[in-house]
Amino acid sequence: MSELGPVCRQGLDGVSQMPVAEGKSVQQTVELLTRKLEMLGAEKQGTFCVDCETYHTAASTLGSQGQAGKLMYVMHNSEYPLSCFALFENGPCLVADTNFDVLMVKLKGFFQSAKASKIETRGTRYQYCDFLVKVGTVTMGPSARGISVEVEYGPCVVASDCWSLLLEFLQSFLGSHTPGAPAVFGNRHDAVYSPADTMVQYMELFNKIRKQQQVPVAGIR
Amino acid sequence: MADVLSVGVNLEAFAQAISAIQALRSSVSRVFDCLKDGMRNKETLEGREKAFIAHFQDNLHSVNRDLNELERLSNLVGKPSENHPLHNSGLLSLDPVQDKTPLYSQLLQAYKWSNKLQYHAGLASGLLNQQSLKRSANQMGVSAKRRPKAQPTTLVLPPQYVDDVISRIDRMFPEMTIHLSRPNGTSAMLLVTLGKVLKVIVVMRSLFIDRTIVKGYNENVYTEDGKLDIWSKSNYQVFQKVTDHATTALLHYQLPQMPDVVVRSFMTWLRSYIKLFQAPCQRCGKFLQDGLPPTWRDFRTLEAFHDTCRQ
Repeated sequence: MSELGPVCRQGLDGVSQMPVAEGKSVQQTVELLTRKLEMLGAEKQGTFCVDCETYHTAASTLGSQGQAGKLMYVMHNSEYPLSCFALFENGPCLVADTNFDVLMVKLKGFFQSAKASKIETRGTRYQYCDFLVKVGTVTMGPSARGISVEVEYGPCVVASDCWSLLLEFLQSFLGSHTPGAPAVFGNRHDAVYSPADTMVQYMELFNKIRKQQQVPVAGIR
Repeated sequence: MADVLSVGVNLEAFAQAISAIQALRSSVSRVFDCLKDGMRNKETLEGREKAFIAHFQDNLHSVNRDLNELERLSNLVGKPSENHPLHNSGLLSLDPVQDKTPLYSQLLQAYKWSNKLQYHAGLASGLLNQQSLKRSANQMGVSAKRRPKAQPTTLVLPPQYVDDVISRIDRMFPEMTIHLSRPNGTSAMLLVTLGKVLKVIVVMRSLFIDRTIVKGYNENVYTEDGKLDIWSKSNYQVFQKVTDHATTALLHYQLPQMPDVVVRSFMTWLRSYIKLFQAPCQRCGKFLQDGLPPTWRDFRTLEAFHDTCRQ
């Protein structure tokens, strides 16, 4: 598969779910957050979209070994418009170009798409100094299921270095809802952060939201 | 206009003088009226002549009186002040058409502005001379006899010596690597990579540091030709700030006689940025101030401060 096109900016991302405030709808909580960001001095810079489709391995390929079918997630991120990410739950993450989607159609015999499993988050991007904040509404089909908040700090590329810095920034506008450090940070201390790590975080977030009930309940990862 | 001319002018006497002129004009016109009218009709010729002469004399007396009065008042009015700041161009103020040609007021403003500029420039040069920013070994105001002396030797060093010094510094710190190249003549250009935090391009002039640019670890430091890009700034505000601080540092560390000590101190100072994103500010204890981490490193103690928190 061809590699990712030249990425000019590759900072550190923290993705978390924001619980919906009591008595308010998803939309109102999103508006609350964006207003807090604008008060902080952030500037709006367009929109973003991250989506995810689920595939499972077709029954015919399981064969005699009796292994359970694995779930594969194919994701797109508007931040990297020429790429397509394919990942397994605990496994590797493949970064490919957009022709991968066409390839998936041809691989229908091996991977079948789970119906009505497409989940996506859409929202606005805000720029504050060197931070890029994306607040999005997570929707599955027609219903809004939750809120995702992604913060990217451009200058730093090593995961373990600036988590405290990111946390302080998150606290300034999320208040008490700041999450703990994502698991990806703990694994490799000095490795350079890559977009695949962001997609892994989004995948975990989407899975968590899928497991929740219809009415979003507070849950910080 | 009035504020320039009113010094020494007695406005009341001025008004009285104007009315005295009017009185004088009317008495002079009475004289000519009397002459025009000629002699009145009276019984005898003598009577007519006498009456005419008496009338004429009265009129002339009144003219005399008015003229004396006017002279007295004109002495009281006084002269307009001689202290024109603009000398002859101050007469431009007498132009009555102010709307179309506001020359005088503009002239005054320009003059005041240039006076203020001169004053401020004098103050600034006095303050700047206190902090000497010269980096050559020549002393200021050296006598003419010594000036034709040869350039100080520290400015003309063999490139091999510069290479040696730099490679020794390269080996000093494990997390800092220095790569030296000479793409533009004899001045060395260093690419310093500090851990995975930042890259610094240092342009040198023999063994003196001339300019630095600080960029992020993931930013491109080469131009499309493959040469070192020494002009474009970083895309991130934090590294633009660190570039400003590095420029301050290279002006701070100065020792014209021992430039290798200077380069060593500069690199030691630069190395303290390895913890740019991890160290909180020593003064306020926080990581972020206006979205920036503590970017200032004290020149002596190498402690981290926010730009707004440093003493």
